[in-house]
Amino acid sequence: MIQVTDIQKTYNDGKVQVQALRGIDLVIKEGEFTAIVGPSGSGKTTLLNIIGGLDSPNYGKVKIGNTDIAQLTENELIDFRLNHIGFVFQSYNLIPVLTAKENVEFLMLLQKKDDKERNERTTKLLVSVGLEDQINKKPNEMSGGQQQRVAVARALASKPDFVLADEPTANLDSTATANLLDIMLRLNQEENITFIFSTHDQRVIDRARRVITMEDGKILSDSMKQMTDK
Amino acid sequence: MIFKIAFKNIWRNKLRSWTVITAIALGIFGGLAVISTATGLSEMRQNNAIRTYVSHLQIHDSAYLKYGALDDTIAKEKDILKFIKKNSNTAGVSARLRIESFVQSAGGTSGILLNGINPTDEKRVTIISEMLQEGNFLEDFNRKPPILISQKLATKLNAKVKTTIQCSFTGAGGLPVTGVFKVVDIFSTSNSMYDEINAFVRIEDLRAMSQVYGSHEIAITLQDEEQVESFRDELIEHFPTHHIATWRGIAPELGYADKMMDLVMTIFLIIIMLALAFGIVNTMLMAVLERKKELGMLISVGMNKQKVFWMIVWESIFLALIAGPLGIAASFLAIQFFGRQGIDLSFAAEGLRSVGLDSIIYPKLNPVYYIVIGILVVITAIISCIYPAKKALELNPSETLRTA
Repeated sequence: MIQVTDIQKTYNDGKVQVQALRGIDLVIKEGEFTAIVGPSGSGKTTLLNIIGGLDSPNYGKVKIGNTDIAQLTENELIDFRLNHIGFVFQSYNLIPVLTAKENVEFLMLLQKKDDKERNERTTKLLVSVGLEDQINKKPNEMSGGQQQRVAVARALASKPDFVLADEPTANLDSTATANLLDIMLRLNQEENITFIFSTHDQRVIDRARRVITMEDGKILSDSMKQMTDK
Repeated sequence: MIFKIAFKNIWRNKLRSWTVITAIALGIFGGLAVISTATGLSEMRQNNAIRTYVSHLQIHDSAYLKYGALDDTIAKEKDILKFIKKNSNTAGVSARLRIESFVQSAGGTSGILLNGINPTDEKRVTIISEMLQEGNFLEDFNRKPPILISQKLATKLNAKVKTTIQCSFTGAGGLPVTGVFKVVDIFSTSNSMYDEINAFVRIEDLRAMSQVYGSHEIAITLQDEEQVESFRDELIEHFPTHHIATWRGIAPELGYADKMMDLVMTIFLIIIMLALAFGIVNTMLMAVLERKKELGMLISVGMNKQKVFWMIVWESIFLALIAGPLGIAASFLAIQFFGRQGIDLSFAAEGLRSVGLDSIIYPKLNPVYYIVIGILVVITAIISCIYPAKKALELNPSETLRTA
């Protein structure tokens, strides 16, 4: 469970102070498929970064499971991210010199998993995202949709407690978006993986089970809906 | 995996990596080429000096070196010569009678040092006999006592083979002596300054003219140069009242040249390493700044900063490990080739001779330098990538992901 309590964040943008988050309270339970939506500048990405330990709040607390991430040292926080959080970025951010297989394997190598476990899990994940025939291709040899699917497989490779995806479909066409959402929904339903998105893509919002709407650093609404997805 | 990523990273921008690798390799090549040429020059100068006028060891009467008096000849000369010849390491020994003289011919005059020698003995000590125009090392002559003069002196005196020249000097008891000699051959060593003031005559002729029947100098050449110091100690033990010196003591300028060469080499190595360091700093800094977003991603997903640091370090080590052997191999091949063929500097022959050098230089390099350079290149690569790697550690992942 992720528990966010009264998070406030202010940036110094030159001479101007920008209040990105103004007291956010939020609880996300295991197995949720949550979209954080809102216009640009509403604080979606800042909230995801703080939940993911990439940024720290000026005020408030983030607890993941029983861990207050503010209490972790820099290296402990990096280790925590490695073992508990999966990341999917808007522009894929794969390692360009590695193949799809090596990109997925990478986090398991950092976790010092043995060869057998790495190979099995990499193959399973690439099959589950439909890229079993692309394993030896490098990012520049794949389409944007394929790269983002590799990024999803990479995010899941370390067996994280949840996946944070910042605008994952922003650079994808409608077919690739639909494919990616299908894969993530299936993983969510079949393997109970928690997904948290920031997005303003209606196609993602339509298929999210919970939609949290933000504006000016505040939560405007938080609604759960019955999945009607095919 | 860190090695793999680091190695693959350096080939992202092949042109840039190869430019840096080539620059490092050329730097090493240039440095080693200069060092080997300088070493070749230094050794040539030293060998030329030893083989033409210094020898490995020289023995003098202690007073002769202070006052240079004609009668300061070497006491117990026969005993000394017998002791030296008995030594199995002796390659040659030559006793010399040396008298300062004024020389004149029909064409000019000059001040010289007449070296009275036994040609057979001298051949085993110096290579003057190999530097003659006609190969007559005071052996073939008719009536008048023979003399060898250098090409430089011949020019000054306007003399040639068969020219008669007159030498005036002070003999025993302070009596003035005038000797008439016939030039039987002309020599030319690689040291024009030496050539200008030295001439050779037969020791028995000079003794007869000067009435000085001893020798002022005994020059010794050994088969194994490494034994010079120990043989000197042995000689001092047996003949403690004589002045016995090795080539380093006789011609300290040769030793200074060695030390000077070491200093020059050190300065060159520092320059090479500095150039290499700046090249690597520049390349790695560009590589880090270009990859801010990717490095931010790596830190975000769980790669700790130590691993990021080492990834950058390994990238520069790989660059050095490719460039180093290339530069060293190119240097080795060039030094081996020119070490045999020589570098012909005939266009500067006159200038080189004035400092005791031949016009063909044979580069030479102590193999230790290859190892030293190899180690230094890797150390420099590690040191010079610390700043770029530190820059990578300062990256804030959320900022790089947002802004890059």
